[in-house]
Amino acid sequence: MSRALLEIQHLDKHFGGLHVLKDINISVAQGEIVGILGPNGAGKTTLFNLITGFIPADEGHVSFRGHSLRKMKSNAIVGLGVARTFQLCRPFVGLTVLENVLVGSLGPRVKSDDLGQRAMDLLDQVGLLAKAHTPSELLSYGDLRRLEIARALATDPELLLLDEPFAGLGSSEIEALSTLIRQLHKEQKLTILLIEHRLREFMQLVSRVVAIDFGEVIAEGSPVDIVNNPRVIEAYIGKQNPLSPSHDA
Amino acid sequence: MKAFKGLDKISLAGGLAALLFLAVVPTLLPGKYLIGVLTVAAIYGIWSVSWDFMSGLTGRENFGHSLFIGVGAYTAGFLNVQFGVGPWWSLPASMLVAMFFGLILGFPTLRLRGPYFALAMLSAAVIMQRLMLIFWEFTGGEEGIQDIKPLIKNQLHYYWFVLSLLGLTTLLLAWMARSRWGLILRAIRGDEATCLAAGLPITTYKIVSLIISAGFAGLGGALYAHYQLQVSPQLFAVVTSITIITMVYVGGMGTIFGPVGGALLLTLMTEGLRDFGEWRLMIYSLMLIFILFFLPNGIVAPTWNKLRNWRSREPS
Repeated sequence: MSRALLEIQHLDKHFGGLHVLKDINISVAQGEIVGILGPNGAGKTTLFNLITGFIPADEGHVSFRGHSLRKMKSNAIVGLGVARTFQLCRPFVGLTVLENVLVGSLGPRVKSDDLGQRAMDLLDQVGLLAKAHTPSELLSYGDLRRLEIARALATDPELLLLDEPFAGLGSSEIEALSTLIRQLHKEQKLTILLIEHRLREFMQLVSRVVAIDFGEVIAEGSPVDIVNNPRVIEAYIGKQNPLSPSHDA
Repeated sequence: MKAFKGLDKISLAGGLAALLFLAVVPTLLPGKYLIGVLTVAAIYGIWSVSWDFMSGLTGRENFGHSLFIGVGAYTAGFLNVQFGVGPWWSLPASMLVAMFFGLILGFPTLRLRGPYFALAMLSAAVIMQRLMLIFWEFTGGEEGIQDIKPLIKNQLHYYWFVLSLLGLTTLLLAWMARSRWGLILRAIRGDEATCLAAGLPITTYKIVSLIISAGFAGLGGALYAHYQLQVSPQLFAVVTSITIITMVYVGGMGTIFGPVGGALLLTLMTEGLRDFGEWRLMIYSLMLIFILFFLPNGIVAPTWNKLRNWRSREPS
C-alpha cells in the first residue's frame, strides 16, 4: 500500500449526551476506493462532516497529505483537494446546471483560463451536457446526483467523499453512476471514500471496507472479509451474502 | 466559452433609453414639484439597487438598510454644517463612513444563520435612531441638522446629477451581479453549505457585499441630505427600510435593474394618490398586496424580460 492520503486518528464526537463516534482510526491510501459501511445512525455522515470540517471533532486528528485538518474551515479543506457530495442533493436552486458546476470551479484550486469550457467538459463527463442550461431545480433525482458529482469534481479534488450516491436511484441509473465512479477512479486517479447502503453495487466498487456500528469501527478489510465477518453480519448485513449473484439489495 | 453572462446589449440599451426618458420628462412637463418627486424617486432607486445587490442576490434580507442611509446623510450634515467642509466632500465621505458601518455590523451579524441577521440589522437601525436622540447636543435631536448646503443650486441640474449617479450605480452593480462575484452571491442564496463544499469563503463574500451595499446606501443618504438641506433621525426609521424592500419586491428581487423601476413606480404612485386624501394609504396598500400576491416575482423585471424575449424572437 502507498502512503496514506487521508489519516484519521482517535476521532471522537459527541452530540450532547450521545457518543456518535468513538476513537475512529482509518487510513486511506492514494488511489483507493474505501467504503464506509454501517446501519443508519452508525455515524457515517458525521464522519464525513468531521473530515470536511462541517462540524468540529471533540478529540482526535484528521490529516490530508500530512496537513492537519483539525482547525481548518470547510472551504479551506476543499482548497487542499478534498471534495464531498451530500446525502440529500443540494443544488443551487435558481441557477442553471452549468452555473452550478461553475460555482464549483470558483474555489481556490482551479486555475483555468476557460472556466466555462471546463464546466461544459465536466457536464459532458457526467452525462449532463444536454441539460447545461436547464434550471437545476427541474432535474430528475438521478441527474441531481450526477450534478452533485460534477460540482464536486469542479473543485479539482484528489479525494472525493460520496455520501450515498445511489440513494433514490433506479437500477439502470445505479449502473451508469457506478460506471462513472469507476471511470473517475481509473482515469483521473481519484481517491474515493464512499458511503452507500446498496450493498451489492457498493461491494463491487470498493477495494476496502470499514464497517461502523454505534460510532465504533467493528471491522475493516476486503469486501469478501467484511461480508463474512460475524460482527458485520449481526450488526448490518444479515445472513444473505451481498456478493452472491442472487442477492437483491 | 464565456463563463459569465456580462451585461447584454439589449438591457444596456433599454436602461439608457429609460434614463434619457427620465432626464427629458421634466423639460416636457415643467414644474418644480415634478422635479422634486423624480429626484426623490432616483434617490430611492439608489437605495433599492444597493439593497438588492446584497440582500436580493444572497437572500439575506437586511431590515436595517436605513442605518446606512442615515449614517450617510448625517455624515454629510456633520461635515457640511458642523465642520464647514465643502459639500462635494460629502459624497465620498458618506460612502466611506457607511462602508465602515457595513464592516463593523456585517462582521458579527453575517455569521448568524436564519433570521438573526435581519433582526440584528433591524435592531442596529433602531439603536442608531435612539442614539441620535440621546446625544441631541451633537446631533440636533428630533430637529436633526439643518441648513445643509446644496451640492448644485439648480434643481433640474441636481436631478440630472442624481439620475446620472443612479445610472452609474445600477450599471456597476448590475455588471458585478453578472460577474463571478454575482454568481457566488446567487449560489449563497441557493445553499450556503454547498457553497462551503465548493470551497468558497461565503462569510467574506457576504461581508464585502454588505460593505458595497452600505457604501451606495450612504451615497444616497448624502444626496438626500443635500436635496432636503436637513437630516433628521427619521431617516433611520424602520419604515424607510420597509419602503425600500417593498420597492425591490415590486421591481423584481435579485435583478438589480428591476428595483430602480420599483422605486420609480412606487414613488410616483404615492404622489399620484395624494388627491385621494385619507383613502390614499388604503389604495396604496391594496395595490401593493395585489402586486405582491399575484406577481410574486415583481412587476418591472419580469415585464422587461418578457419584452426582451419577445423582441429577440422576432425575425430580423
